[in-house]
Amino acid sequence: MKLRIIASALAISVALAGAAGLSTGPAQAATLSGGFDVGPGGFQGNFNPLAATAGFTWLSVYFEPLVAYDEKLQKVVGVLADSYEVSADQLTYTFKLADAKWHDGKPLTSKDAKFTMGLAMDARSGSVLAARLKAIASVEAPDEHTLVVKLSAPSASTLDTMTKVMMLPEHALAAIPVDQLAKNSWWSTAPIGTGPFKFTKYVTDQYVELAANIDYRGGKPALERVINRYFANPAAAIAALRAGEIQFTYVDSNDVSTFKGDEAFKVIEGDSYVVNYLGFNHESPIWKDVRVRQAVMYAINRDAIIQSLYAGAAKPANCAYVVDQLIPQGIDTYGYDPEKAKKLLEEAGWADINGDKPITLLTYYTTPLATNVLAAVQAMLAQVGINVVPRAVDTPTYNSIVLNPKPDVAQFQMVYAGLQNGPDAGSINVGLNEKQIPPAGPNVVRARMPELNSALDAALAEPDASKRDARYQDVCKVMNANLPWATMWVANRYGVVSSKLKDFIWTPAPGGGPYAAHPEKWSIGE
Amino acid sequence: MLQYSLRRLLIGAGMLIALSMLIFLLLRLTPGDPIDAYIDPNIPMSPAQLSDLRSQLGLDQPLPVQYVAWLREALTGNLGFSIKRQDQPVLSLVLSRIAPTVLLMGSALVMAIMAGIITGVVSAVRRNSVADLSFSVFALAGISSPPFLSALIGLYIFAVSLNWAPSGGMLTPGAEFSIGDLLHHLVLPAALLSIAQAALIMRYTRASMLEVLNQDYVRTARAKGVKEFWVIAKHALRNALLPVVTLIGSTIGLAIGGAIFIESVFNWPGMGLLLVNAVETRDYPVIMGSTLIIGACVIVVNLLTDITYAVIDPRIKVG
Repeated sequence: MKLRIIASALAISVALAGAAGLSTGPAQAATLSGGFDVGPGGFQGNFNPLAATAGFTWLSVYFEPLVAYDEKLQKVVGVLADSYEVSADQLTYTFKLADAKWHDGKPLTSKDAKFTMGLAMDARSGSVLAARLKAIASVEAPDEHTLVVKLSAPSASTLDTMTKVMMLPEHALAAIPVDQLAKNSWWSTAPIGTGPFKFTKYVTDQYVELAANIDYRGGKPALERVINRYFANPAAAIAALRAGEIQFTYVDSNDVSTFKGDEAFKVIEGDSYVVNYLGFNHESPIWKDVRVRQAVMYAINRDAIIQSLYAGAAKPANCAYVVDQLIPQGIDTYGYDPEKAKKLLEEAGWADINGDKPITLLTYYTTPLATNVLAAVQAMLAQVGINVVPRAVDTPTYNSIVLNPKPDVAQFQMVYAGLQNGPDAGSINVGLNEKQIPPAGPNVVRARMPELNSALDAALAEPDASKRDARYQDVCKVMNANLPWATMWVANRYGVVSSKLKDFIWTPAPGGGPYAAHPEKWSIGE
Repeated sequence: MLQYSLRRLLIGAGMLIALSMLIFLLLRLTPGDPIDAYIDPNIPMSPAQLSDLRSQLGLDQPLPVQYVAWLREALTGNLGFSIKRQDQPVLSLVLSRIAPTVLLMGSALVMAIMAGIITGVVSAVRRNSVADLSFSVFALAGISSPPFLSALIGLYIFAVSLNWAPSGGMLTPGAEFSIGDLLHHLVLPAALLSIAQAALIMRYTRASMLEVLNQDYVRTARAKGVKEFWVIAKHALRNALLPVVTLIGSTIGLAIGGAIFIESVFNWPGMGLLLVNAVETRDYPVIMGSTLIIGACVIVVNLLTDITYAVIDPRIKVG
């Protein structure tokens, strides 16, 4: 009798397994599947490049900008622009467009480029670039292949911003009212770009599929399809990578060690271009004395945290930058010195300013790594008499607290956050310039330092590229001395790819790029 | 019976309204301002623009007024529009996710019933045997394992190490639809979701069978020379299953809770994944709508279970 029961159970199992055996198996070999939107550079579920604060690695497989960074993120190169020129006074940018076609076969013209610039400069379209393009006075299309952008004042960040402006087809979008464009279903159903792959399908919350654009001006792509798999959590993406279902994903630094030494995978390491900092809320009186801010820097053993928690894959930051050409000689390195920290606090009268009252340290970082970092920071600061209490919240909550025009200072006397510091060094302006205090911008620490404002303004307005690094060195110097933040470090980020992938270019660029990834050259070997 | 059913139906409706009030209140108690979900922090807005938007959305009204306005619309089937998904109506969004969730939960339920009853019967019939002990240990482990843990462990063992099943999704991306492909993706998450339910059903079946096997009518059947298989299958099991039926109904709520985790880990495009995504992005209308519909499902299933129980067991008095 028992045997019959077991036999019935086995029969059912075999039936299920048999049905499973009928499955189609993995998609064909000329298909690359990846978790392109996993991690901080991704923006899962966003199809609209105008609204993209990240996710450019994926978007730039089917949309293209006029210019983008090269794969090392060192210089801006032409993509849809065959060439570009910047006038000596840094006020006129002239782009010569390539002979390119939209995915529907219509030619790309400078009218499309002008149309796109108009959308990008108009906040009603949902463009997140509008504020950054404010310096543009006019956009002209003198002939079919030329676009001329004129600025009202020099702005060193213009080219960096232009890398994020993906060209859009006027013939497909002109009929949609600008204020309804962001919500239009075109983006996720029938988008048309000029890239090496064209949009074919989006299966809600599952994946996006692109097919090779055989008429691509750079040659027929080697792959037939590229698929962007969606994952609700990074652990599932790593499982899919290990199971061979995808060939690429971003991974957290603490997962990297499991792939190192495994011949089936290659680990790609790169600069995150994000500086992590403890931001002092300058509307709280407790941080007014610079000696207190200096004490925070001396009290934290950043080297120990980098070695033990980041496995050495981070560089300590003594201002917003860590790249050599932006660091001036002679700045304070704030080496770990708790005794000096205690002395500075005593001199400043910390016992009267705050004493051991709890200080809320707000963050939107909820990863295990960030939790460990903040636990270490809390313990180190406690040793010198600063009692911080970390509070991790989700990003919408964080934004609602820190971006509030009338903030409740008690909720975030300090923040632990990150800000993009490259490839364009001017990226930090929004987090530190007084003009960017909410609601105007994201200077959430409400830094009001005239010397810093002047340094930032001067760097952004510097027309001579050869002098720009020196200007950013001035910014670094002012930051290092005045400490609007206690700068912590710039960490590396990682991606893991299957060893079968050939000519695959990926770099952990902030926001996912865009950079010259050349998806038309990607291929999969046996 | 009709009066009983109507009364339970009214209680169910009352519970649903209480549930909607609770969710509404809890969402408003979360840190932050609901208006932040509607604005892009990258686009500066003046205080006047914010005030206009607040007034336009009715967020300047007192909470009870906001709730009544929402309820009035909800009763007409309008659960609002998703904030994060290009203004899709919440009702159609949630309805589109019901089928995958029902497929996952239904398969898990079938697996749990089969595994739970078979192992429960074997355990009771072979009491204190190695099989009984093994099944009991598995059941204890199953009841004690939270779904997020069993989902991750199952994913690692069966998808990553053994490569027996895909690591996620409902269909192979880019492949043509086929039943085989669907089942291939379904087996692992459904099996993992069924663990806790199967363990509970096994425990109840075992206890109930042990009680029934000592009854006089079972002894009589054996004495009459009825084959042991039919004694168990026909005389004992049918009577032992009565409390198990109630249990199965009441574990639906447990299964929904588990499905939220399983769908999230396996990226199964059901209501659980929709809800998790909505919570992460503060999509208030979707959170409200999906929680309400999930709550309604649990209440309806419990109601049906009670009515079924009253119908199949004449000893249960209603009214």
